[in-house]
Amino acid sequence: MLRKYALTMGLSLLGLMACGQKTDNSGGNSSEGSGTTAQESAKETAKAEGENNSDVTLSVSIWDTNQEPGLEEIMADFTKETGIKTKITVVRWADYWTAMEAAAQGGSLPDVFWMHSNESERYMSNGMLLDLTDYIKNSEVIKKENYPTDIWSLYGYEGKDYAVPKDIDTIALWYNKKMFDEAGLAYPTADWTWDDLTEAARKLKKPDGSQYGFCLRPNNDQAGYYNMILDRGGYILNDDKTKSGYDDPKSIEAMQILETWIKEDLIPSAETMSENSEDVLFQSGKVAMITQGSWMIAAHKKNDFSLANADCVELPKDKVTGRRVSIYNGLGWAAAANTKHKDEAWKLIEYMGSEKAQRKQAELGITMSAYKGTSEAWAKSAPFNLQAYLNMMEDMEILPFSRSTVSWEDANTELVTKVYTGELTMEEACKKMAAQMNEKLAEEHAK
Amino acid sequence: MAEEKKKGFSFTSREKNEFIWGWLFILPTIIGLVVLNIIPIINTIYQSFFKTGDFGRGNIFVGLQNYQKVFADKEIWQALLNTVRYAIVEVPFSIAISLVLAVLLNKKIKGRSVYRTIIFLPMVAAPAAIAMVWRWLYNSDFGLLNHIFHSKINWVSSPSIAVYSIAVIGIWSILGYNMVLFLAGLQEIPGDYYEAAEIDGATGISSFFNITLPLLSPTIFFVLVTRVIASLQVFDLIYMVIDNTNPALGKTQSLVYLFYRYSFVNKNIGYGSTIVVVLLLLTLLVTVLQMIGQKKWVYYN
Repeated sequence: MLRKYALTMGLSLLGLMACGQKTDNSGGNSSEGSGTTAQESAKETAKAEGENNSDVTLSVSIWDTNQEPGLEEIMADFTKETGIKTKITVVRWADYWTAMEAAAQGGSLPDVFWMHSNESERYMSNGMLLDLTDYIKNSEVIKKENYPTDIWSLYGYEGKDYAVPKDIDTIALWYNKKMFDEAGLAYPTADWTWDDLTEAARKLKKPDGSQYGFCLRPNNDQAGYYNMILDRGGYILNDDKTKSGYDDPKSIEAMQILETWIKEDLIPSAETMSENSEDVLFQSGKVAMITQGSWMIAAHKKNDFSLANADCVELPKDKVTGRRVSIYNGLGWAAAANTKHKDEAWKLIEYMGSEKAQRKQAELGITMSAYKGTSEAWAKSAPFNLQAYLNMMEDMEILPFSRSTVSWEDANTELVTKVYTGELTMEEACKKMAAQMNEKLAEEHAK
Repeated sequence: MAEEKKKGFSFTSREKNEFIWGWLFILPTIIGLVVLNIIPIINTIYQSFFKTGDFGRGNIFVGLQNYQKVFADKEIWQALLNTVRYAIVEVPFSIAISLVLAVLLNKKIKGRSVYRTIIFLPMVAAPAAIAMVWRWLYNSDFGLLNHIFHSKINWVSSPSIAVYSIAVIGIWSILGYNMVLFLAGLQEIPGDYYEAAEIDGATGISSFFNITLPLLSPTIFFVLVTRVIASLQVFDLIYMVIDNTNPALGKTQSLVYLFYRYSFVNKNIGYGSTIVVVLLLLTLLVTVLQMIGQKKWVYYN
C-alpha cells in the first residue's frame, strides 16, 4: 500500500509543474521553424487551389458575449455571399490573451480574431499576424481614408498593416434619473465640469452608506481618470513612448480630483468596488453616476433597471482648461500569419470592414463602427441619449499604449488601489506609477 | 528471484512476453506523464535561467539572476507566507472534518448513500463555478452571509481575513474527496477489533482513538501528503475570487498566482518559471520531511 501511495504522491508533485508548460523556440530554432512554415504554407496553397471555397470554415475568436449574436448575423450574410463558413468562439477578456499567447506559441491561432492595442505590437513585431498591406492596397472595399487614422496606427508596424478597424469606442457619463429627482438636482448636462460632478456627488451621497454619488474603480483608466488627466492638460505617455506623464504636475492635479472623491467617500470603498463592478453597483441602485465606454451599451439595454432609471450624457469638462476629451480606442480584425486559408481570412476581414457590414454592426447596436459616417444608426439602437457618445468624438485621444501596456497597467492599478486604501497619497502614487512605467518603457526600447 | 539471477540475462519466452506486455500496458500513462509533466518540468527549469522573449523567442541566458531576484523579492516572501497560511488552515481542517464525517457515514444509518453523495457533490462541480458561488455568498454588500448574520464584514476584501475565507472554500470543496478516501480506509479495518474492544469495555471514543486512528494512519498520511502538495499550489480559488483591484490581493496571492501574474500578465515567463521551481523545491522538501516524520505515527500492518 505504501508503494501505491508513494507513486500517487509522486504524480501529484509532477502535476505541480504541468501548468508551466511552454514551448521554447529560442534563437537557434527560428530559422528551422520558418522553413517548416514556408513548406506548410506551400502545401496549403496547393490544397486551397484544389478546394472549393464552400468547404472552408474559418475559426473566429472574440471576447465579448454581448456582441456575439449580432456578429453571427453579419457573418451569416458573409457566408451567404461567399460560401465561406465561420465559427465564432467567445473567450472572456480575462482569459482571451492567455489563450492567444498559448495558441500563438503553439502555432494554432484562430484564422481570424479581434486584436487590441494593448497587445497588438507584441503580435505584429513577432510576425504572428498576417500582413494585410497588399490586400488592403488591392481592395475595392477597404479605403484607409474611411477610418480614423489613429486606429490604423494601432495595428500598423514598420509601415505594414496587420488589422482592419472593427469599431470605435468613446466614453460618456451615466446617471440615475430617479436619484437625481429624489435629491432635487437637475440632471447632468454637456456643460458640466468635473467639479459639478463632485458637487452633485456630495448631495447624492447618503450618510448611511446605502447610496453613493459616483463610482470609479482603481483600474478604470480608460473610461475614468485618463480622460480627466487629458482634460487638465496632463498626459499618460509621451509621443515616442519613452516617458510616463503621471508625474507631470497637471496629471497629478487631475488625479487629485479622484483623491477628493476617495477622501470624502463620494465613491464606495475599494473593498466594495473590488467585489462588484461599476455597472453592477449602478444597476443595483448603489451609486448615482458612473462613466461607461460605449461597448457597455449592450449590457444596459438588456437591463430593466437601466431602462427604467438611467440615461447618459457627455463627460464633464475640465474647469481650468474647458477641454472635454474622450479616450477612444478601436478593435481590429486580424488574421493569423500561419492560417491555412489566407485568402478566405482576408475575405472575411474585408467583409467585416466594408461599409455595408459596418453599417449593419451599428444598426444592430453591436457597437459604434469604425467606418466614418456609419455610426449614426447606432445612436438609435437603444432608448438612451447615445448621441452623447457620438458627440464625444469631437475631441478624442487614442488610448495610450506601448509594447508592455498590460504590465504597467497592472502595476498602476495596484498603486492606485493603495490611494483608495489610504496607504499612499495620490501624489506619491503618481510618482511611483511614473517611475515604474519609465523603467518598463526603458526596457522596451532596450530590445 | 534467486533463480532468475542465476540464469543471467537470458529471458524465457514467457518472461519476454510479460516484459513486452507490461510495458505496453503502462505505455499510455508513461507517454502522458512524459508529454504533460516531465517535459514541461524540464522546460520550466530550463526557462528559469533565461530572460524570455515574446512567444518564447529570443531567450537570453541570464544564469542565476532570476533566482537572486526571487530571493530578494518581498512580494514572493509575502506570497509564500500567504500560501502557507492557506495550507495551515485548509489541510488540518479538511482532514479532521472529513475524518469525522467518514466515521459517521461508515455506520449503518438511514440514507447513508444520500449523505455521502451530497458531501461528495462539490467535487463534481468545476472549481471556477464553486468560486463564483462563494464569491456571491461572501459579497460584503449583497452576500447571503452578511445578510444572515446582519454583519458588514469584508470577507474577501479585508487583507486580514480574505486568505482564511478562501481557505474555507477550499475545505468545503475537498471534504467529499477526503471522505471517500477515508471511507475506503475504514472498510479495510476488520470489525472484530471493535467487537473485541467492546467486550473489553471500550467506549466509542476510545476505540476511535485506539483502533480507528492507528489503523487508518496510512490513509491519513496519504491524504495529508497529497493535500499539502495541492494546497501549496492553490490558484483557481484566488484567481476567481480576488480581483486585481482588491485591497486584499497582496495578502492573499499565492506563489502560483504570482507565477500566473508574471508569466501571463507581465509576459515574463523566465521569472514566472523561477517562482514555480522554487515552489517545486519547497514542496519536495516538505514532502521529504513528511516521509521522514511518518515513521513516528503511521502504522502499516
